[in-house]
Amino acid sequence: MNNSVQKQLNILDYGLQSLWRKKFKNLCVFFIFTLVIFLLASFQCMNTSLTRTAEKLLLTVPDITIQQLSAGRQTAMSVETIKKLGTIFGITEINPRIWGYYFDETNGANYTVLGTDDHSFAPLQLDLLESGQYLKPEEGGQVVLGQAVVDNLALSGRRYFSFFRPDLTLMSFQQVGVFAEKTNLLTADLILMSLEDAGDLFAMQKGYVTDLLVTVGNSNEIQTIAAKIAEKIPGSRVLTSAQIQKTYQAIFGFRSGFGAACLLASLAAFVILAFDKGLGFSKEDQREVGILKILGWQTGDIMRLRFYESLVTSLCAFVFGMTLAWMHILFFDGGLFRPVFLGWSVLRPSFDIVPFIQLQDILLVFAFSVLPYLTATIIPAWRASMVRADTVI
Amino acid sequence: MRPSWLLISFFSLFIVIDIVFLCVHNGRRAEFDATVPSLNSLVAQMGLSDLALSTEARYTRHPALTDPVAPFMDHIGAIEHFPSGSFMAPSSVRKVGMPNE
Amino acid sequence: MKTDIQPVIELSEVHKFYNQGQLREVHALKDITLRVEQGEMICLRGPSGSGKSTLLSIMGCVFGPTSGFAAVGGKQLSRMPDQYLTCYRRKTIGFIFQHFNILPELTVENNIVLPLLPLGISPHDQKKRAALLMERFGIMHRRDFQASQISGGELQRTAIARALILDPPIILADEPTAHLDSTRSLELMESLTTLRQDGKTISLTSHDPLVTEHKNVDRVVDMEDGCIVESESVCS
Ligand SMILES: Nc1ncnc2c1ncn2[C@@H]1O[C@H](COP(=O)(O)OP(=O)(O)OP(=O)(O)O)[C@@H](O)[C@H]1O
Ligand SMILES: [Mg+2]
Repeated sequence: MNNSVQKQLNILDYGLQSLWRKKFKNLCVFFIFTLVIFLLASFQCMNTSLTRTAEKLLLTVPDITIQQLSAGRQTAMSVETIKKLGTIFGITEINPRIWGYYFDETNGANYTVLGTDDHSFAPLQLDLLESGQYLKPEEGGQVVLGQAVVDNLALSGRRYFSFFRPDLTLMSFQQVGVFAEKTNLLTADLILMSLEDAGDLFAMQKGYVTDLLVTVGNSNEIQTIAAKIAEKIPGSRVLTSAQIQKTYQAIFGFRSGFGAACLLASLAAFVILAFDKGLGFSKEDQREVGILKILGWQTGDIMRLRFYESLVTSLCAFVFGMTLAWMHILFFDGGLFRPVFLGWSVLRPSFDIVPFIQLQDILLVFAFSVLPYLTATIIPAWRASMVRADTVI
Repeated sequence: MRPSWLLISFFSLFIVIDIVFLCVHNGRRAEFDATVPSLNSLVAQMGLSDLALSTEARYTRHPALTDPVAPFMDHIGAIEHFPSGSFMAPSSVRKVGMPNE
Repeated sequence: MKTDIQPVIELSEVHKFYNQGQLREVHALKDITLRVEQGEMICLRGPSGSGKSTLLSIMGCVFGPTSGFAAVGGKQLSRMPDQYLTCYRRKTIGFIFQHFNILPELTVENNIVLPLLPLGISPHDQKKRAALLMERFGIMHRRDFQASQISGGELQRTAIARALILDPPIILADEPTAHLDSTRSLELMESLTTLRQDGKTISLTSHDPLVTEHKNVDRVVDMEDGCIVESESVCS
């Protein structure tokens, strides 16, 4: 083996032995560091996984969503509005939709109700339904349910159930289909029904909906068309797909920023600890360095020795913490951080986090853990290496 | 056996584990990516703007479409309770809830 | 490595100050002139604080003199930067210290091979060299003992083995018998004598008459307050 490689290995060996000699202290540091890296890495990985998943899935949000505002709040809008938009060139399709929330008082859960009349859709072919079928246009009172809703309503095989209208009269529904498990990320709390039924359930005026979905032929024109729509419908809110996607990233940015701030504080505390541990080096350590130096170890060798020691500690903790974090995300669905990212929920949608591991995150965690630790230990290492050889004579 | 070999074996062991994890990860992603087109068409069809990650209130199920007053629309106690909302539900979530209560 | 240049150690008009220019300035060596020939065994003697260890440190290339001329093995020390001094020291000098300076937490073997580590010598060769020396000084059976668990005599022999591991031409020993009883001291002197027969140059410091009056010591140099008092030749 090459002489200088052998030399580095020798110094590394010596460093490992001296780490092992103070195993209690060093194992403590190792485990705390592992914990910090584990938290940081799981957090980062979870954040990436969620945002990337959303990014991919929400790629196809409608080009433009139109809502009506009144006194700064969203209100129902008439389907007649569609006629006003017919003249705008570039719009290929406009679909009315009722999108509301039904509060299930007995379970204390919010369901998302979606009323649509667009039947140009064949979810069975796309493998989106677990059982049953899609809404039939001619029959009323039919619903397709998300899995969390099915669980929450405790239907257990029953096909019929009832919801209250605002005036507390009952409206009954027939469950005709259940969304497949793989769509849980989107449909867990969803109740899909016809536009008419939704209007009935929420006691909305006939011919009124909550929003209009606009499809635009050329995606470069979305902005201009949105501006034209806003002009044509006074008091409307016109949302473009880009805006929706951006806002969605921001909500995780907010939550992850908060979590990251907490974690970085703990990391800073740890780095200070490392710095302190390195600085307070005892008479014994000093004597050891003196002996090594007089036996022919160079200042650089001593620095390398100390550097290897902290490199080994931090790299081991990094690899170990990173592996634990991946395990946490892959096999435990990031259970520790789910609350931070998702908040509380009565209707807890069950879904597996789609893991997204990317090099950027690994480097980020590395830069925020191993690098500060190494820099924090460099000054103590340098100080240690400055011990003079003649102190031991 | 010299200590540095032990260290190297430690690292190799973890690299092997990590490679296995990456394979699992790639498998999951591939599985997910296979469903993406159909989910995309679902999104397009229904105009969904958000993931059903949590359903505590309309502004978390559909954060992309809220207005500044949205939190107050659910019920009076439902001011945005983040970060505490990340760790616990409001004590009376099962009772309060209806806007007219 | 054997040098043919004579003398092996040459000092002339050497001064050494500690903390020069500061309040606690110590003039530890004053105008020292000394020559040590190849293969000679000399002994520095003098009261505590007379500068024996300081003089030995200069001979051992631990630091250069503050002023004056000092050459060890033909190399002039004051010209050498610290880094080369270290390199040169480990090739040329074997140290045996007053307090052994054995690391108590390491095993005997690991202590002995310490000087080999930064030279990039493989563990296999390290063990082989250490084994030879341990065999020679009778501490083979203590190879894997922690240094804190062996007797003073064994510790001393460990220190000698460590000093010899790089086979240096010059051996310096600072009060090597200070912690030994008379039998052990004599044994040590025997070991040193065999080294001398190998052609090594040896320089000791000691108060111990067992050492200073030992038949194999060529010369005793008396020191007092940083000066050499007289230089008496015992033989040759
Ligand atoms: N690092 C140092 N800094 C300042 N003064 C020192 C230092 N080392 C030694 N001295 C002083 O230099 C003088 C000579 O010290 P040295 O250690 O050479 O004496 P010594 O003859 O070896 O004594 P002993 O027999 O006790 O070992 C002493 O007065 C001592 O106080
Ligand atoms: Mg002394």
